[in-house]
Amino acid sequence: MKITFPHLGNVYFAAKALFDELGIEYVVPPLSNKEALEIGTLYSPEEICLPFKIMIGNYIKSIENGADTIIITGSCGPCRFGEYCELQMNILKKLNKNVDFIVMDVPSDIGIKEIFNRVGKISSNSSKSKKEKIKALVKALKIINMIDEIEADAHYIAGYEKNSGDSKRLLNKCKRDAINSKSADEMINILSEYKRKINFIEIDKERKPLKIAIIGEIYTIIEPFSNLYIEDKLMDYGVSSKRTLSPSWWVKNTALSPLKINSLDIKKASKRYLSLCIGGHARECVGEAVIAKNEGFDGAIQIFPMGCMPEIVSKAILPTVSKDLNIPIMSLIVDEMTGEAGYITRIEAFIDLLERRRKSVLFRS
Amino acid sequence: MMKIGIPRGLLYYNYQTFIDSFFYELGCEIIYSENTNKTILDNGVKYCVDEACLPIKVFHGHVYSLREKSDMIFIPRIMRLYKNEFICPKFCGLPEMVKNSIPNLPPVIQDTLYADSKTVLKKWAFSIGEKITNDRRKIENAFSISLKKHKDSKKGIRDKNYKINVALSGHPYNIYDNFLNMNVIKKLNRLNVGVITEEKLNEEYINRQVLNLYKKPFWTFARNTYGFTTYLAENSLVDGIIYISSFACGIDSVVIELIKDRIGNFPFLILKIDEHTGEAGFDTRIEAFVDMIERRKGIEDNISASW
Repeated sequence: MKITFPHLGNVYFAAKALFDELGIEYVVPPLSNKEALEIGTLYSPEEICLPFKIMIGNYIKSIENGADTIIITGSCGPCRFGEYCELQMNILKKLNKNVDFIVMDVPSDIGIKEIFNRVGKISSNSSKSKKEKIKALVKALKIINMIDEIEADAHYIAGYEKNSGDSKRLLNKCKRDAINSKSADEMINILSEYKRKINFIEIDKERKPLKIAIIGEIYTIIEPFSNLYIEDKLMDYGVSSKRTLSPSWWVKNTALSPLKINSLDIKKASKRYLSLCIGGHARECVGEAVIAKNEGFDGAIQIFPMGCMPEIVSKAILPTVSKDLNIPIMSLIVDEMTGEAGYITRIEAFIDLLERRRKSVLFRS
Repeated sequence: MMKIGIPRGLLYYNYQTFIDSFFYELGCEIIYSENTNKTILDNGVKYCVDEACLPIKVFHGHVYSLREKSDMIFIPRIMRLYKNEFICPKFCGLPEMVKNSIPNLPPVIQDTLYADSKTVLKKWAFSIGEKITNDRRKIENAFSISLKKHKDSKKGIRDKNYKINVALSGHPYNIYDNFLNMNVIKKLNRLNVGVITEEKLNEEYINRQVLNLYKKPFWTFARNTYGFTTYLAENSLVDGIIYISSFACGIDSVVIELIKDRIGNFPFLILKIDEHTGEAGFDTRIEAFVDMIERRKGIEDNISASW
């Protein structure tokens, strides 16, 4: 069995470490790129959302590299993501790709027995003892938390750095080194090293950079290719950005949700505008916009794939939030037809607008 | 007397009897929005968020038209109709979408409904009733009368005495809103094609069809449409399937694929509707589909002159 998985931001670091430790063979798909999107668009239903298409591209590239088992997480509605597995199985079957799917649904929907059964399918391929398996899982969780933290720090520091580009270079180097590591422990060491290094980036505390919160649909904000590397662009502009949703946030949120103590701050913030969970991360999106204002951010950018049902609801609510709280919010919708030039123009215009609201055009050449 | 505005959109088409009778028994004056028309559509498009699907936009138009005429507008938040199933995220956030998009709305009745058990349904009815009257017995009475009426009401279409019959599937508000679908049922009847809709198929058959899927569909619409169309196709009870789907509908993007996978070469026409749909192209597609079915059945009578 050779396992593969679709890309979601930094998940591949944790997955690599986990499978390394477990001694299970795996294939990390090439980072999502134009080719993956083209393959995905070719085989996917036309009206399905962007994440589906990129994921299909990931699978097919991995299968070319020898993968025969695909792991994805599932959900049971009301967002379309829950139906991905079924459609993707059908598509790959039609393409005569002989692959197994292991769908990690929430236990409350498929029963605890079935979830053990599905986890068992993976772990039975590992010759390690139970204790070692748990250790591997703990290490993987540690790695995803670390890499997400480093990334968040780099995005934030980008607004303050003295030599522009320092934090971006450091982040890229960190990712390159981490993925080339041989074991989970080595990766943890590398990450702690970079976590230390990032604090040594020279910063100018006097500077008051623009601060933008990235909110919206989880896949399109986490997977950099799908949002045309918006966070990198913001770093280049010297803008501090923050994104609450991340793979590590998702793990924590999912683990705490049976107890209903997940993301209490977001729930509280969104209460006035959208008090119920309506699927996807619409409530989180609205809540984060409110939090962004409370934390003194200058604006927020919402990103979602064309046709995303939950985010359409939040897009209808955000103008009210924007008006009530006096914080500019821009919505960017991405799909396979998104052109980069128009996209950049909109981001730049938004940044210009935020700068003018401060009545001073800042330090951009 | 309190004036309750009821927008004739979305699930009103399913629960018309219940809603009408409930508010009537409570002693309200009911103000309906007109049947969907150009003004309603235009206002919907104007006020609703751009990315929403056509039925949601039209619903906004209906609410807009009621805005100055009524004391309260009925926009229930319907979360689910069956256990462990949803309708669509946009239904769950419908009151918020409307309230944040249309300015100067009167108060909105937006009680959250999980209609998977009678007790919950009753509680919901009471929380609405209490906004209108203090007489609990009156509410109780209104509830039981309307529920009975709803159960007795006849739903769905099943045409008889046509040579060709097609299954007309899609969300109820697309099938029954004759403005949105440009009178598709009449058009089909005029072409000598009979129509059958999903309400006429026993739910048992629908649920049995779904068992073949890897994952049980978690949308009520998906389960119904999938079960209905595939059952009719597999048992050759109709000559073709016509699916009316609104552009960018998330549920349809999945269900249509699932149906296609299951029915193979069975005649299947997808009619996409949005606010730009032109009637001429719509007609052409329907006519071509009917021609195709006629040829399959060998009953074509209008062979062109050039033959």
